[in-house]
Order: sequence, then C-alpha cells, then structure tokens
Amino acid sequence: MPSDRQQEKSFYIISGKQDGARLESRLLEERVQEAVANGQRNLEIRAFGQHGIGGRLWKAGDEDVHLVVSGPPGQRLGSMGFPNTFIEVNGPASDDTGWLNAGARIVVRGHAGNGTANAMAQGKLWVAGNIGARGMTMTKANPRFTPPELWVLGSVGDYFGEFMAGGIAVVCGVDPQTPDNVLGYRPLVGMVGGKVFFRGPHAGYSQADAKLVPIGDEDWDWLQDNLALFLEHVQRPELRGTLAERSAWQLLAARLPHEKANRETRGMRAFRSEVWDKELGRGGIIGDLDDQDRSPIPVVTTGTLRRFVPVWENRKYTAPCEASCPTGIPVQERWRLVREGRMDEAVDLALNYTPFPATVCGYLCSHLCMSACTRRTGLMTPVDIRQLGQASIAARLPELPPVSGGHIAVVGGGPAGLSVAWQLRRSGHGVTVYDQGPGLGGKIAAVIPGSRIPAEVVNAELERIRQVIPHVHLQQRLAREDIRQLRRDFDFVVLAGGAQQPRRLPVPGKEGMIPALEFLVAAKRGGAAVGTRVVIVGAGNVGCDVATEAHRLGARDITLIDVQEPASFGKEREAAEAVGARFRWPCFTREVTAEGVVLASGEVLPADTVFVSIGDAPDLGFVPEEVATERGFVAVNAFGQTSDPKIFAIGDLVKPGLLTDAIGAGRRAAEAMADMLAGRRPVGDTRRMIDKQRVKLEYFDPRVIAYESVEHCGSQCSSCGACRDCGVCVEVCPYNAISRRDLGAPDYEYVVDAERCIGCGFCAGACPCGIWDLVANTPLA
Amino acid sequence: MQSNGTLAPFSLSIKDLPWQILWNKDKCTLCGRCTATCPVSAIELGVFRKRQVAPAVAPALGRLEAARNAYSLYYGIRQKTDPAYACVGCAMCSLVCPNDAIIPARSDEADKLRMHVDRGGQPRRRGGRRNVAGSLLDRIKFMRISMLTDPALDAGRHEFELRTLLGRVLPPEQSLRFMADNGWVPPVREIYPLIIGGMSFGALSPNMWEGLQMGVTYLNEELGMPVRISTGEGGCPPRLLRSRFIKYVILQIASGYFGWDEIIHAIPEMKEDPCAVEIKYGQGAKPGDGGLLMWHKVNKLIAAIRGVPAGISLPSPPTHQTKYSIEEAVAKMTQSMYMAWGFRVPVYPKISGTSTALAVLNNLTRNPYAAGLAIDGEDGGTGAAYNVSMNHMGHPIASNIRDCYLNLAKVGMQNEIPLLAGGGIGKAGNLAANAAALIMLGASGVQVGKYMMQAAAGCLGSESDRCNICNIGLCPKGITSQDPRLYRRLDVEQVAERVVDVFLGFDTELKKIVAPLGRSTSLPTGMSDALGIDDHAAAERLGIRYVV
Repeated sequence: MPSDRQQEKSFYIISGKQDGARLESRLLEERVQEAVANGQRNLEIRAFGQHGIGGRLWKAGDEDVHLVVSGPPGQRLGSMGFPNTFIEVNGPASDDTGWLNAGARIVVRGHAGNGTANAMAQGKLWVAGNIGARGMTMTKANPRFTPPELWVLGSVGDYFGEFMAGGIAVVCGVDPQTPDNVLGYRPLVGMVGGKVFFRGPHAGYSQADAKLVPIGDEDWDWLQDNLALFLEHVQRPELRGTLAERSAWQLLAARLPHEKANRETRGMRAFRSEVWDKELGRGGIIGDLDDQDRSPIPVVTTGTLRRFVPVWENRKYTAPCEASCPTGIPVQERWRLVREGRMDEAVDLALNYTPFPATVCGYLCSHLCMSACTRRTGLMTPVDIRQLGQASIAARLPELPPVSGGHIAVVGGGPAGLSVAWQLRRSGHGVTVYDQGPGLGGKIAAVIPGSRIPAEVVNAELERIRQVIPHVHLQQRLAREDIRQLRRDFDFVVLAGGAQQPRRLPVPGKEGMIPALEFLVAAKRGGAAVGTRVVIVGAGNVGCDVATEAHRLGARDITLIDVQEPASFGKEREAAEAVGARFRWPCFTREVTAEGVVLASGEVLPADTVFVSIGDAPDLGFVPEEVATERGFVAVNAFGQTSDPKIFAIGDLVKPGLLTDAIGAGRRAAEAMADMLAGRRPVGDTRRMIDKQRVKLEYFDPRVIAYESVEHCGSQCSSCGACRDCGVCVEVCPYNAISRRDLGAPDYEYVVDAERCIGCGFCAGACPCGIWDLVANTPLA
Repeated sequence: MQSNGTLAPFSLSIKDLPWQILWNKDKCTLCGRCTATCPVSAIELGVFRKRQVAPAVAPALGRLEAARNAYSLYYGIRQKTDPAYACVGCAMCSLVCPNDAIIPARSDEADKLRMHVDRGGQPRRRGGRRNVAGSLLDRIKFMRISMLTDPALDAGRHEFELRTLLGRVLPPEQSLRFMADNGWVPPVREIYPLIIGGMSFGALSPNMWEGLQMGVTYLNEELGMPVRISTGEGGCPPRLLRSRFIKYVILQIASGYFGWDEIIHAIPEMKEDPCAVEIKYGQGAKPGDGGLLMWHKVNKLIAAIRGVPAGISLPSPPTHQTKYSIEEAVAKMTQSMYMAWGFRVPVYPKISGTSTALAVLNNLTRNPYAAGLAIDGEDGGTGAAYNVSMNHMGHPIASNIRDCYLNLAKVGMQNEIPLLAGGGIGKAGNLAANAAALIMLGASGVQVGKYMMQAAAGCLGSESDRCNICNIGLCPKGITSQDPRLYRRLDVEQVAERVVDVFLGFDTELKKIVAPLGRSTSLPTGMSDALGIDDHAAAERLGIRYVV
C-alpha cells in the first residue's frame, strides 16, 4: 500500500505480469528504463519476483526517481542503485537487496533476505524487520561520497559484516528474530572499516577485527538524528522513545591495522609466571630437580660463563732442546740468562747438569738439542750451543755443601762415573771413585783424538772435577768380590765401567786386525806405526777417528769399508773425508791376510794395517752374578737401578750411547739415589716436551743462518715453553684482561682478570714461546 | 700444520676441508669474539709474517744499491686444518663478528675430510639430518582448486576445525557391538594434526625442552589449539607428569625404557591422563640402530629424570630386548601400556620408514588396542647417529605412507587406524605444504622435530652438512647441549613464543591449502585426487595425477 506521500503523486504503473504470466526480469528492466527515459519520475512496480528492480536509473540524471514496489520483489532489489533513486518496498525483500548500491535510498517495510547491503558503497537501506545471513558484507566507504548506511529494526543473520570495509550499520534489536543474539553468529570477520551500532545482546564478534568503542556524543547525536528518519521511513515513529535510551546501545568499530598487528593475548612472560610456574612450581618443569640458573646469557661471556679460560703455563713443559738433551740441560734457560746479560750465570748453570760443559757441549757432543731445536721446523738454523759450551770452560764451581748424607762408591771414572759422582757430591753425599786406568776421564781422555778436542779443555774440566771429587782410586782393577765388599761398605755402588772390550770379526786372520779402541789409546799416548796403506773395517764415527789418527801417523791410502751405508756423520766424517779416506760399501770381509783384507767377492784390499771398528762391548767380569744382565749388558730400570737395589749401573755398561747419554744417566741415577737416601720415592722429571706448534717462529728472521756471538744466539732462541716476558699477551688481549704481576725480582707472572676475559685465546695464539694455553672451563652442571 | 711439516695421510689443507673460513683483514678489529664462540675451536689467532723485498736500485751515479729484506708481522684469524678441529660451517663467527669480517664458505668440491673422519677406526657419527637437499614432498602440487565446482571456502573467513583423531576409531555399529561385548571401547583423542615428534630430555637441553612444552601448553590453554608433543625417550620431568599439562603430552617408551619407573610412580598422583603413549621401535634418521647418550652428558638432572645414576652411558639398543616378534610386541607392550592408565590412553607404535611397514600395519589392523601407526621416514633428524645410517638407510615417507593408506583402504579400514607421518616434513621450509601432501596421501597427522629446532630455536643445521654437531654437546645455539654455558643462550620463553608462531603460521597455511578443496571441518586425509606431480614415475608409484 502506498504511503500518504506516495498517494499525493501520480505513479506510472508497470506491471510485472502480462497476460496473466510473469514478465521476465529482462523485460521488466527494459520497461522501467524506457519509462524513465521517457520522463517518468514516479513509478509503481507491481513486482512479481523480478530481479534487480530499481537499479541503474541514471537516465534520469539529477532528477529524483521515486519507485514504489508493490508485490514481491526478487533478488538484488536496487542493485547498482543510483543516487537519484528512492525505492519503497511495501513488504519484505529477497536476497542481496542493495547489492553494489551506489547511492539509492531503499526502504523495505518488512524483512530482508540474505546478503542485504552486500558490497553497498553509497546510499541507505532501511529495513523494518530482520535481515538474513551475510548482511552488510564487503561494504565500502568511498571518500568522494557519504558512507553507506544499513538500518535494521530487528536483528541480523549470521556472518554479518564480513570484510566490511566501510559504512554504518544500525541494528535496533526491536522484535528481533534472534532475541538472545541480535548480531548473529560470528559477525564482523575480516572487518577493516566502518562501524556498527547495535542494541541488544550478542554472542561475540571477531575480536581480531572489531572492537567495542564508547559511543561519543557526536556518534549519539548522529544516531538519534538519523534514527528519526529511519523510523519515519519504516513507519514506526512510536519507537523513538524506546530507542532513545543511550545505555542500551553499543558501538563496534573496525580495528585499525596497527591494532590488528598486536594480538591481544597473554604474553609468554606472563604465561610463564601466571600459568606455567603456577601449575608446576617455581623453576618450571625441573625446578625441583636442579637449582642451576637457566636464565638467558649472551653468546660472548666473561668470568665463570666463559667456555674457555687461558692458562699461563710457564715452564710447565720442557723445551725441545732440554727434552732431547740426554743430559737434560735446560738450554733455553741458559739463552734467557744470556739475553738478560747474565752471561756468567748462563755459563755456570751448566755445571748443575754436567761436569763436562765445555768438553762435551762445546766440542764432542752430537748436539741433539740443536737437532731438536724448534727453529728447524721453520727451516731456520738452530741456535748454536757450541759457542756457549766452549765458553763454559770458565764456569765457576759454586761452594760445595758439606758431606752430610750417604756414601756411594762409583766404579769407573769415565763420563758416566764422573757424572754420577759429581752430582752426588754436589748434593752433599760422599763419593769414592775407582778406575782401572791411569787417569780420570775414560774415553774422553784416553781415546778421543786430540784433533777433536783440545787437551787443555779436557784437562781443565778434569781439574775442576778433581776439586769436587777428592776421593779417587786409580789403577784399581776390581773383581766381583770387591764389588760385593763395596756394596757392604757403601750405601750404593754405581757400576760405570763402560765398554772396554772391542768386538772382533769372526773371520780367518782376525787376530791380525787392530781394534780401534786399542789403536786410538795408543795413538793418543804417543804413537803407533800404521804404514801408508790402511783399511778400517767398520765405517762409523770411531772408524773415522781411526782414519784421521792414522793419517796423522803417516797413512796416506785409507779405506773404510762397511756392510751397509756408513752411519758416520758430522765432524768425524768430515775430518776423515778431509784426509782423503775412501768409504766403500757394501763390503763383506772374508779373510784378513798379510796382504790386507780379502772381500767375499774375492777382491783384495791391500793394507799395511787393518783396523776393526765395529764397536766395543762391556766387560762384565767384575759384575757380581746376582746382578741381572741382558744380552751382554747390565739390566736397569729408568733410574739405572739394577736388580740389586743397592747397585746402580750406567753408561755403556747398560747400553751403547753417546757421551751425553752417559752423563745424563749419571745425573738421573744420582737424583734417584739422593731421593732414596732422603726417604723419597724417585720420580725423575715428569715434565713433557712442549708441542712445537705452540711456538711462533714468525717472530724471527728466517734468513739468519749464522750467529755472530753468544748474544746473537740468545736473541734468536724462541724460548719454547719459558716466558720471555715480552708482554705480547698483554697487548694482544682485546679486553685488556691480562696483566703482569711482579713477584719480587726476578720473579713475575702473567695473570688474567676473569671478569674481563672472554676466552678468545688470542694470548695463546700470539705468545711467541707457547706459554699460554686455552683450556675448557670447569664444567658447571 | 707447519708449512714445511711432514705429511701424514690425514694432513689436510684448508682446501680439503668442507668449509673454508673467509677472513677479511681490512675489516677485522681483532676483538676475539669469533674465536671465543667457535664451537669446535676451528679458528685461532694466528701470527703472520710478511716479507717485503726492496729491490735493488740503480742510481744515476754511483754503485747499485743492494736489495733489502724487510719483515713485518700481523695478527689475524687462522683456520685450523687438523681434522679434529675442522670448521663445521655453523657461522657463529659471522653471527658474533661486529665488522662482518668473517664467514665460512662451503667448499666448491667434495671435501677430503670425509675420508679421514674415521681415525682410530671409529666411523663418523654426527647429529642432524640426511644432508640431501630437495624433497619429493616439495614437488607435490595441490591442484584441485574448487571455485565454481564445490562450495569454495575462504581460509581467512571460514571457520576451520583442523583436527585429527588419534586412537582406534571403530565404525559406529562395530563400536556399539564392541562396547556390548567388551564393556570398553578404545579411547580416541581429537588433536591438532601437527605433532611435535619425540626429542628426549637429554638429547635436548633443559631450556629447549621446556620451551617446546611451554609453547605447546600455551597453544592449548591460551589459543585453544589441541597441539600435542611427544617426550621422546628419556622420561618426563616428575613435575610435568603431575601437572594438568600432561594431557598435552605423548609419553614415549623405547628400548632403553628410561624414566618409566618415575612415570609409574607418578601415575597415582596424576591429575590428568597423558594424550597417548608412543612405543618407539625405530627412528627414521637411523633405522635399525639404537642410541647412546654418552656418560658425560648424563648429569645430575638427566639422571634424575631418567632414573639412573649420573655419569654413566645410556644405551638405547636397536631393538626391544624381550620382544622378538610383532605379535609379542603388540601383546606385551601395547596392552601393558593400556593397562597403566585403565585403558583410557591410546597406545600406538612408531617405526622407521621401511619396506616392511605393511606387515606391521596388517598386524595392527587385527588388534583393537592399536591406536595408530607412526612412520618416520628417512629424512628424519636425530641428535646422534652413524653417518652411514643417516645417509644411506631408511625409506622415503611418501610412498611408505601411501602404501599403508591404500592397504587400509583396500580392507576398508582407512578411517580406523590413524597413520602419522614423519621425517623431513618442512626440510626446505615448506612445512604446511609437506604436511598437507602427506595428509592427502593418507596420513592422519604429521610429526616434526627438526623443523621445530630450526624455527623455534634457530638450529643452524641444513642439508649441506652444516653444523651437525648435536652429538657432541657443543650445539652453538644451546639446543642439544647440557652445558649451561651453551643452553643458556636459549631463552625458554622465546622458544615457546616461536612454537606458538610456527603453529599459528602453519594453521593459516594449512587452511590456505585445504580451503580451496572445500575442506574445513575434516582433514582431507587420503584425498589424493587433489594431488599432482611432474614426475610420471612418482605419480604412478603414489597413485596421484601426473601433471605438466
């Protein structure tokens, strides 16, 4: 039924039926458009379910077009509605009313179906009843126009306002279809703009997209003003009072993008304290089992939280020179003293380790210390110990302690025997030395050619030894029973008889061969006739000495033969080669005749004199049978102790070796005896050699190939394992955690401030001497 | 090695190593952070000698001026070449470098180190994964996109109930009959289809383990997502057992039986039943092999949770020692586990991917106690395994799951025994896509472990043998270490937050995949008509469409 206002106008009627049949939507649309084109501005559509009625009436331009729809309209009433259009439906409307409305005002005086106001961008839609599902979805607000409005007197259906991007919806909650929830199920999902006034209960909305906001005065005034218009259009002015109660209304607005970004959920910190720890107890799941602090820490930490800690391992390890010196002389320590300008102390220090620092270190030793020198790993010339050794002739004896300990008999006055006696006396024990020869020094004095060691050096050192060891019995050939007696009379007996028995070849004519040992002794005493042609069987270093001495005594055609490539090396070999000696191998001796040496091949090497130089064996004739032997040598433990705890054996009696081996064995045996006399268990030196890779040779000039002086040597020693006090660690530490602490000159140490140190190991990486190490920190758990 | 040192067969140059440290002298400020942080001490401060030779100069007049040598030194970062200290490529050095002066680079050829990691006759062991990039799962496309053919759903708008069932689902009529006959029906849990797979307390650090549990609990209690997590084999902290949070937990029992006496002692005091019990028979990363938690990792805490003395090695043998057949395993283990909680808690076995999976499944179909079958494929991860087990043993998960599902379909039980798939899901970052592919191939849910390490804790592992040192307790992120100096790098709450993020993100992605299929309230388990792959043989094998 037309309203009063409608009745005042004259309406052009278009029927939705023709000849009793429903007119197609397309034909009705054509008739409406045609009527408007023909100037009709007031039309009554007697609809019969046709779709899309009332939209697209732009042919009227700015002139108002008033449509009254009587009869049931179909879907999409007023869709694409134009701003000039006003549509009144005197009854309910179907789905999608106002779809894509671009400005039309539409009154529905009844309920409206699903999709009401879907995608509406402008215009107004007044509904006198309830609407179906998905109302007000995808609505827009174009800044060029007034936002669209949807007014619903009752309630809205489910999924209301999905993706609503603008406009205003007003849900009045009057006689709602769903009284306990006027907004329907799951409203406003994806809402990004606009607002929704509503009155009555609701069952939730998309919290992520919408929020309840207070109704401000401006909002309220707008609502009340426009409410009047709505009620007038839906012909319910009597509700004005009911709907004027401000407290009954609520307002939902879209969340702004930045509000959506922040989930309004409980933070994890709060969850931990309010839920997690509350249920589990303080400390969470393992608070009852472990009191370890588990709070977060940075990756780079200091103090107890460091994974690694640097350790200043000064002198924890032996330097390679010291470790490889059979005598055990701390060579690097001597170079330190040289660097510090304490030359005298550097020289004197050697006497703590050997009675022959000049003779052996300066001349006779094969210098294992130099072979082992770390510098060689960098193809650099080892520091030359010979210079310091030769200077040791001037070493001064410290004052000897009074004899207060044990008394030890030493049988043998060679390097081994003198070494053990020297050490024992210097540590306060009484010693008596027995030797079968005419003088002290053993092979050093009696056998080694004068060409290799100046006699005055040997004599000077022997003289120094005599000051230390006054009780010497020479020309004493002791038998087994004598040894047993010594054992009873002394605390310990040390057997140091050496290898006095030359080995001979088991070939015919062997008695015609002169043992090298005998020849060298004789040659050194004064002379021996050798003839011009000499063959030496055995081309080792002793053989080389024989060759050199034979040349000194007139030999000119000198041949050394060996069954394998000769093992001779060093100065002995060089000296033999210098006198024209020939080396031949492999040569197997079949026989020795008056002509010379007959080889297995039949060849004859003519010789005036034939020497045999294949080593010497110990003479065990004086060793008591109860002392265990093994393959012709006396069996001993690491300290030189034999199977009889009171008898020690050292030197070539135990194993063929170098002079320095004999001296070192003497020192170790002396330490062990001193320990035992003091009631201590002997342990020896337990230090290990430093890993050469810890030493940084980059600090040295690799082109140094010769040393001008002892001082030059000292400067080039890398001081493996012994701090040079250079302070590189202090400077290289990124956090200034290392400092030098003076312990009263000359002692000092480098210390780490744990609270500054991060455990980077730069100190260890930079240390020239390999003192710093980086080790795992003490476990926490 | 010294530049002129002697060679050993295992003397390697930097070039021979898998990773080369690129160090920039100009940028480096020598702060020491990199060397302090490197988990394997692969780098150190080096002293470098620089030689410059000033050439001879011929002046206009006079004698030639001789050439001269000049040496200078500088300090820098040196990479060690000793195989014991080989760089593992974790790039923690880069992470802590204030000047971007250092970074490891992968060698451009196969490294030589691999031939020397068996010094002493011990072949390489490591943590991590198979180190094979790429995944068949990544090649599977979801190509059934409903627009006008089915009601299309909108992942952002529509409601989804992405849940799966864990437990024996009997058909309605059978269920009624079963109840009438037995007075009991198998329990069934409705849970989220993405499950955090078993990673033990011990393999993981306390902070990592608690972070995962906290995140899962948050998802349940704050966000209403019924996410579940397996304990792995290593027991469960007594407090957790006695808390209501235990209902979010799947308790695992494996061949070492660690911590089970503590669980049994806790049962009378439990407020809630656990979600389920998982019986581990195999692990995808090291099929047929067991585990060993080294004695030095067994500290007081782990010992307490596992119910063992501290400081002893804890072996988990490859097999359950008294179970010699599947019948026995099912009879003894499954039923006993049901008894523990009065038949209220589902019990299911977990096996490694294997060509014998069907035999296991067929047995389970005949046993109403079997609540499901979890299969862990060859791309699964582990804290420690032999390299050979990890790289060369196992079965790909896709065909294994598919075969099982089709077999269930053949006997009409495809909705009755849930299949859980694991191993390599999300290995290239495509967690939801891989999970959805497995679900559509027939899985009712998926289990992930490694992905959680990476996403929730920043695990540095990758498919190119990066880091992979979980087994030696030096995890630079603190995920698999028992050393507080390392695991305190991990913030429990941040791990939990990341777990929440991962599940929320996964949830959205899974919706994006299943919505166009028209699925919103039930998982598209076995919906293989939606799948396609551009490999004909793979399509044939999996029974899905070949698309190009």
